[in-house]
Amino acid sequence: MKPLNLIALLLFLGGSVWAFTRSERGVRDVQDIYFSAMSPFLKSGSKMETEARTFLTETRHSKELEVELAFVRGELGRLRIIESRYRELETENDRLRHALDYKKATHFDVIPAQVIRRQPTTWWQTVDIDAGEERGIGTQLAVLSNEGLVGKIDRIYKDQNRSSVLLLTDEKCQVSARVEGSPEVGILSGQRGRFDGSPLLRLRFLSTDAAVRVGQRVFTTGRGEIFRANILLGRIVSVEKGALDSEALVKPSVNFADLSTVFVVLSADP
Amino acid sequence: MIRYSFITIILLLASFVVQQFLPAFTGMHHSRILIVQLVFLCAAVTVEQPTMLILAFMGGFFWDANCALGPHGGDPQIYTQPVESLRFGYSILLFGAMGFLMQGIQPLFKQGKWQFSAFLSGIAIFLYLTAEYVLINFVRGEFVLSKATVIQMAFTSLLTMLFSPFVFWLLFRIASICNHSINPEAGKKRRRAF
Repeated sequence: MKPLNLIALLLFLGGSVWAFTRSERGVRDVQDIYFSAMSPFLKSGSKMETEARTFLTETRHSKELEVELAFVRGELGRLRIIESRYRELETENDRLRHALDYKKATHFDVIPAQVIRRQPTTWWQTVDIDAGEERGIGTQLAVLSNEGLVGKIDRIYKDQNRSSVLLLTDEKCQVSARVEGSPEVGILSGQRGRFDGSPLLRLRFLSTDAAVRVGQRVFTTGRGEIFRANILLGRIVSVEKGALDSEALVKPSVNFADLSTVFVVLSADP
Repeated sequence: MIRYSFITIILLLASFVVQQFLPAFTGMHHSRILIVQLVFLCAAVTVEQPTMLILAFMGGFFWDANCALGPHGGDPQIYTQPVESLRFGYSILLFGAMGFLMQGIQPLFKQGKWQFSAFLSGIAIFLYLTAEYVLINFVRGEFVLSKATVIQMAFTSLLTMLFSPFVFWLLFRIASICNHSINPEAGKKRRRAF
């Protein structure tokens, strides 16, 4: 082997060892620098996409848009009324909890965001949304849609008003879950190597004689610090009893193939 | 040659930008075009070993920066068995291994038979994805291999390989601008024929 090649190989191996020994914090710093460098390109790409979308929207029939606008206005008014009523109830609930000396008064503030990029990596199930730290979003916050739990915030792109969401369908997104109408609790997560439009989730660590049946709904337990309680996750489609524990397959309540608007739940707990 | 090597490094960095805008093909089991890996593989066969290793290090390092997921978080008493991630930096070694594989057929490329390299780039990407998937299974335990995953890897390799002639054309153009020959034996043969 030529001396130059040998030196290059040794430097390469040394560099690899250096990269391998980066701490979690160090990796995040590297990622921040990387995505800061990518930021101008991503911003211009996102701008072009928005312009293309606007152009396509404008070319739609104006009559159709008028009807849609009228419907949306009506819906907005209705939701405003519901929201104001909900806020009243929340305040009343807080007051009552306070009166009863409850230590955990919870608030439920959400930030709407649009999905701007889908699955940018090969193996992980993630999407990017157009809301970042400027809007108070941090990592490990739950992300919902009107159908149920979507996932959690995995990464914030610094100064870019974007963040990455790890979807519930990814194996790494674990959720403490309970089965409706039963005392069974387990850990729900995605399945490895499942990229089809309607992937099933695995609910593991149920008891061996778990009294669960097909069709029962699965909700978050609220334990584990990340997800609040009673968020809908899906419905059981099959149950498999094992020697040590049971497992169920769950059809997610969210249609992951058609994600557009999501809501990030801001943590307002003390 | 230094100018050519420098431009290949720039080209690799540019491919990271392009990769950001290449979505997964949902109708084809989420297959995608891995332009970063393709540019690296095509460049690896045209350069000497030290430059290939620089490209491998940069490619793997930035690829991991692009893809690495964050820690699991949450209460460890509830999430007692968190799902492991691949360690940052593993791609550097995978890129290096792919680079050595490509350099194995460098003599053929130098004779002007770039088609073999184009074909091998597809095989190298399939091996790269397989190695990555095996590593994921190894660190997470419980080997799972579905038909959809195999199809995804095969289509990704095929789709990426289809773009290799374009990348080779680009590299030939860059080499010609830099007055550098990346297949000198083919050039000699051509001159002898005249």
